[in-house]
Amino acid sequence: MTELSVSTTVAGHVPQVPLPEAPPKVTVRNLNFYYGEHHALKNINLTLGTNRVTAFIGPSGCGKSTLLRIFNRMYDLYPGQRAVGQLMLDQTNILDPKLDLNLLRARVGMVFQKPTPFPMTIYENIAFGIRLYEKISKSEMDDRVEKALRGGALWNEVKDKLNASGLSLSGGQQQRLCIARTVAVRPEVILFDEPCSALDPISTAKVEELIQELSEDYTIAIVTHNMQQAARVSDKTAFMYLGELIEFDDTNKIFTSPSDRRTQDYITGRFG
Amino acid sequence: MADMAVQGDVMEAAGPYDRAKALSAFKLGDLTFYWITRVSAISVLLILGGIILSLIVGAWPAMKEYGFAFLWTQRWAPSADPPVLGALGPIYGTLITSIIAMLIAIPVGIGIAVFLTELCPQMLRRPIGIAIELLAGIPSIIYGMWGFFVLGPFLANTFQPFMIRIFEGVPVLGAVFAGPPSYLSLFNAALILAIMVLPFITAISVDVFKTVPSVLKEAAYGMGCTTWEVVRNVVIPYTRVGVIGGIMLALGRALGETMAVTFIIGNSFRISSSIFAPGTTISAAIASEFAESDGLHQSGLILLGLLLFVLTFFVLAGARLMLMRLEKKAGK
Repeated sequence: MTELSVSTTVAGHVPQVPLPEAPPKVTVRNLNFYYGEHHALKNINLTLGTNRVTAFIGPSGCGKSTLLRIFNRMYDLYPGQRAVGQLMLDQTNILDPKLDLNLLRARVGMVFQKPTPFPMTIYENIAFGIRLYEKISKSEMDDRVEKALRGGALWNEVKDKLNASGLSLSGGQQQRLCIARTVAVRPEVILFDEPCSALDPISTAKVEELIQELSEDYTIAIVTHNMQQAARVSDKTAFMYLGELIEFDDTNKIFTSPSDRRTQDYITGRFG
Repeated sequence: MADMAVQGDVMEAAGPYDRAKALSAFKLGDLTFYWITRVSAISVLLILGGIILSLIVGAWPAMKEYGFAFLWTQRWAPSADPPVLGALGPIYGTLITSIIAMLIAIPVGIGIAVFLTELCPQMLRRPIGIAIELLAGIPSIIYGMWGFFVLGPFLANTFQPFMIRIFEGVPVLGAVFAGPPSYLSLFNAALILAIMVLPFITAISVDVFKTVPSVLKEAAYGMGCTTWEVVRNVVIPYTRVGVIGGIMLALGRALGETMAVTFIIGNSFRISSSIFAPGTTISAAIASEFAESDGLHQSGLILLGLLLFVLTFFVLAGARLMLMRLEKKAGK
């Protein structure tokens, strides 16, 4: 009885009708990942649809964040970690060892669990990323910064203190600054690694709203521990468990009638 | 078991009396502790004050004799009658050697720290780290001997002639790198100083670089930054205060370093525009002459010591001020 009521609560948060299938932006085929000897991801197959939000759920340590960190080759920073398989961003092979990582990361932006404003002013936090790729005039830069901050739903709160330190903002504002910073570089894919886990409910609602808006222009992947959040913001949901992809389907379907027993147990709170 | 029970009984019986006594004993201990710490702290001020006072007393005859002219007189002739003493040479030498040393040591020291924390393969990290620490542990007299017997001849035979040839006839720089080459020169001393202070800058920079959260670096890499851009825009701004602290410590050492410099600077009070010419520093002048000095000459040397004290104080105060300004600018 309890189980049923929980699942209806979760299902109750799923208003959207499934969108039509989108052309794939990122294609993952037979992807395996190793931390040294440890086999962390086993034979992952899925696609991220263009301009869709894909949520990754599953208990801690199941490999969600690991998978996300392959999409922008973040794991490359650490020796001993390696990925095997096929991973395509449009026509680009992400796992190509000769790939220019700086360009890849310009195309695949990332927002982290904890807000990570750089130790500089709010304005510079945004302008910094743009300057890495473009040489533009001061007035153009002002426009781009404003646009990015509007895109991050932060402009109205910070327009009078653009020269204050990015660290002086509240946690929720910092996180939106980081989103604005990511958007400013005009990536194609944005990865969110538990973007709301350090935020209060109001900031969380703002960030979720922002993610929905961003999905009009960007392909989004989001790792979350909060199942309601996955249900609210995503079009597709992937459930992972112990390094395997258990189920990958429309979010509605996952939260109302999952086909795998383990998915059902997880979303109804039996474990995890 | 039985013992404990008995003990408990006794304590309970004698309770009120013992407790008061115990408390008063604590009070005495507390008071002693308070005074020991307080006297220790005050003694720092007393010692500092005492040093300044004795320097002033010792320097008084020279101050009375030469006044402020001491600061801008270049001639140093203690055996003249009456002796003519001027501190311009040592002051110039102290500042020039320290500046050159810092110009070399800051980029190299921070560069090593960046390599060790960001780029170095794990295998090399420990050996290089230990080597840097050992560098800090070498006594300064060893640096002096090495500078005198190895570095000096090498510079005089190869590097200096090369630089002199290149800059011959170039305005300003031609005068800075003018000949003749010499074993003993301001430049040699500055180079030794740079090597000596390098470990301070590196060790402190490595420590503060390690405090940068890895997620912050990942965020910068995630924007597509290269390692250089991450270091330049994230790591160094984040650790600025600590790095500057390390640089100040190094500068303090460079200004006051005596033994190694005395060996290789040449102890000449004449000011030359060339950094390849011999010179002297305040501490080197004191070290080489103090033992054979008396009267006004000795007083002049003590006055030099007082000047070094004041110079170091102003440099450190200036650094503090700069740090405060930086922090204000960063909006912290």
